[in-house]
Amino acid sequence: MNAAKTTLANGRPLVVETSHALPLISFAIAFETGSYFDPPGKEGLARFTGRMLRRGTKTKSAQALEAATDRLGGELNVEVSHANLTLHAQVIARNLEPFVALVAEVLGEPAFAEDELERLRKKAVAELLEARDNDRSLAQIAFRSAMFGAHSYGRRSHKASLLTISAQDIRAHYQAHCLRENVSFGFAGDIEQDKAELIVEKLLAVLPSSSEVPSFGALRDPEGPKGRSLVIVDKPERTQTQIVIGALGTHGHDPDHVPLLVATAIFGGTFTSRLMREVRSKRGWSYGASARVGVERARHAFTMGTFPAATDAAKCLSLELDLLDKFVAGGVTPKEVSFVKSYLTRSHAFEIDTPQKRMHQELDTHLLGLPADYHSSYLARVKATTPDAANEAVRMRIHPKDLAIVVVGTAKELEADLRACVPDLGSVKVVPFDAD
Amino acid sequence: MDKRLRAALDSANQKNPSHPWTHTGDVPFGTDSVHTFRLANGLRLLLLVDRQAPTVSYFTWFRVGSRHEKPGKTGLAHLFEHLMFNETEGLAAGQFDRKLEEAGAETNAATWLDWTYYYESLPKDRLGLAVTLESQRMSRLVLREPQVTSELEVVANERRFRVEDDVEGAANELLYKTAFDKHPYHWPTIGWMDDIKAFTPADCEAFYSTYYAPNNATLVVVGDVQERDVLAKIAKAYGPLPAADLPEEDTFPDPPQTATRETTIARPTATEKVLIGYKGPALGDTDHTVLSVLNEVLFGGRASRLYERLVVKDEVATDLRGWVSTFRDPGLYEVFLTARAPHVRADVLAAFDDEIARVKEELVTVDELERAKARLELGLLQSLDTAAGKAEQIGFYDTVLGDPRGAFSRLDAYRRVTRGEVRTAARRWLEASARTLVHVVPNGAEPAADDDDAAADGEESEAEVPS
Repeated sequence: MNAAKTTLANGRPLVVETSHALPLISFAIAFETGSYFDPPGKEGLARFTGRMLRRGTKTKSAQALEAATDRLGGELNVEVSHANLTLHAQVIARNLEPFVALVAEVLGEPAFAEDELERLRKKAVAELLEARDNDRSLAQIAFRSAMFGAHSYGRRSHKASLLTISAQDIRAHYQAHCLRENVSFGFAGDIEQDKAELIVEKLLAVLPSSSEVPSFGALRDPEGPKGRSLVIVDKPERTQTQIVIGALGTHGHDPDHVPLLVATAIFGGTFTSRLMREVRSKRGWSYGASARVGVERARHAFTMGTFPAATDAAKCLSLELDLLDKFVAGGVTPKEVSFVKSYLTRSHAFEIDTPQKRMHQELDTHLLGLPADYHSSYLARVKATTPDAANEAVRMRIHPKDLAIVVVGTAKELEADLRACVPDLGSVKVVPFDAD
Repeated sequence: MDKRLRAALDSANQKNPSHPWTHTGDVPFGTDSVHTFRLANGLRLLLLVDRQAPTVSYFTWFRVGSRHEKPGKTGLAHLFEHLMFNETEGLAAGQFDRKLEEAGAETNAATWLDWTYYYESLPKDRLGLAVTLESQRMSRLVLREPQVTSELEVVANERRFRVEDDVEGAANELLYKTAFDKHPYHWPTIGWMDDIKAFTPADCEAFYSTYYAPNNATLVVVGDVQERDVLAKIAKAYGPLPAADLPEEDTFPDPPQTATRETTIARPTATEKVLIGYKGPALGDTDHTVLSVLNEVLFGGRASRLYERLVVKDEVATDLRGWVSTFRDPGLYEVFLTARAPHVRADVLAAFDDEIARVKEELVTVDELERAKARLELGLLQSLDTAAGKAEQIGFYDTVLGDPRGAFSRLDAYRRVTRGEVRTAARRWLEASARTLVHVVPNGAEPAADDDDAAADGEESEAEVPS
């Protein structure tokens, strides 16, 4: 095992995590762009741009490109999030060279063809329909909208926006956003630093270049909910519900960031956390019960999630709100802090037990704009967290009177009980699960 | 046996002279070697030293799954996956997980038709904790109220999200229920809801004393460990456990299926879907690898035949998948197709059947075969990137086939598959008369002409038609 991090001419990192355990090489080509930059009315543009990269080059049709990838024992996936667009590539080591040539063709000569765009559009619209089968996904979509409103975290693609995206939009987006100037690279597995550098050189040479690099300078923290709002996503015949409760969370640069992570782990981050114990172990109301804080480029959410039977939904929501109040008002105990610190420090071995995980940790530090020592100082910061610091972070960051609450279930059976169980409830909205 | 291993074995056996290990051979696993051992009480150990990370994975595979249940008591094997995390003699409810979390361990379990496993992945210096906790719950689990009733509720909730409220989960359960009559693959591993709700502590006690014993278990340990330490700790903790009198299997194989079976369910879903199950080979059947290669040709990725035909060319489907079930007894070759509105499942099925007819007639191309093999090789390598991944592969193939290196044996077998064998497998297994179809229609949709008996919302209807 061997790790190296160097800085490219563009100021971005090249991370190489060498391990010869398996004849497999993974690499990531990560651009500092993402759905944040989708123009209003064209939500989905960044994602379409990423997906179209896999749909053909100037000399290879989409099918020929897929076949060429398969033939080499390779895989090419594109991930597009709020703040980055990343190509994840993996290949059996003996085929590295021809696979890199293929990836260079994908990046250097993308076709962005009209007929493929139409196919993708149809598929994406169909996927929006398919997503309605998944109650968890319905809950997450409704939650983002309720929690973040008009902030870029709350925006999502919909049928109308997907219909407006043209091949020209995609070409222009690619030329302006996937640049030599904003790309980072990570390699993991059966590869050495010098070989990785040669590949980087080859790939940089084919990328678009621009003096105008997309900037997140205008990205602000979301405002978060004011008061308590309830959204019921109404779906017929639900025997079970999905409940998501959220408040504004933390940012990697907050001085109390790690204390908040520690407190949240006590509240709902492990199998024996307060939430699990009360909801699942004692009452058997939900198979899972958890709380987490998202770490993104701007402040994200603190969320709690459960999925109780419809008959237990109101009771479960009421219990969760009660537990949250106690968490904020009463804090966590020294014993709990000591326990969870032990858990977080010892289990850290599993955050970094593969070269791929180590590589992505390094890359994410950069892509999410986290402090450079975010991961390297993480263990020390966990160990240094005191009960007072954890409690102060909870009181400072989480406001139980300002919550977005989303329930997916059958409204006519749930609405009255849900309304009754949330003290100080402000707005209530019932939205059909199949609304666009 | 090399000198180092011999020294480790001698050392462990000197420490625990009453419970000596027998070395039962070394098995190659990729470029490494799995050491295999047995205690006098029948407990087997498969040990792979792997120093890629400072961790260790500790799997306990029990040769019991839902196939060992009886009608009226379905879901019992899976219920144990929950109960085993509760109370043991000397350890209060909740403490099992608490101790592991404090050690920074990950722990979970899985149950399926043929087996159940429990695992912990720990920092390497915490191996002893897994040995202690696992040996205790293999022999001294406490099964009483209120924990049993509380876990029944949790499992009922699990069933709601995996089956009742999940379109694919419901369709899949119905597929096996319809395709198998007498064989225990007829019922779902999670169990029927009525059975789940009716379990008593006495039911649990009987199941536990029958199947949870060292002679029905194999430990798989993979990680950055010292062989002598592993051997000594396990012998000390498990050596005194008594072997159980394991019952002989009492399974009724179904007669060959000679007529297509069809059933329909209505659910709140936007699109029509069809789930198909051809009676398929057992994992140990040599045709299993051939059919897996064919499945890769048909469904493996976006350059596959069916993706190209159904999604790209005809645009009648959005989602499609195929899987050859990896069970000890003959299972199903499962195919899942989602229609793209306004197309209906009849359109998808027609195109699908067309391609099945073609693969029985014409040889697949050399390129298709090579791509399928490369994809399968990549899949295997990807599954081995952590200690837990390796332990799961070793334990799975050992439990189902008695071959710890099964993953690599399969890779060798894939490499030998020829185009002619693929065509023969298609002709042998993809017979319409040996398939079962579950049609999923959106609630309120007009039943198609061929299924007038499609039932009301959420209900199912069944029909067997000769083909």
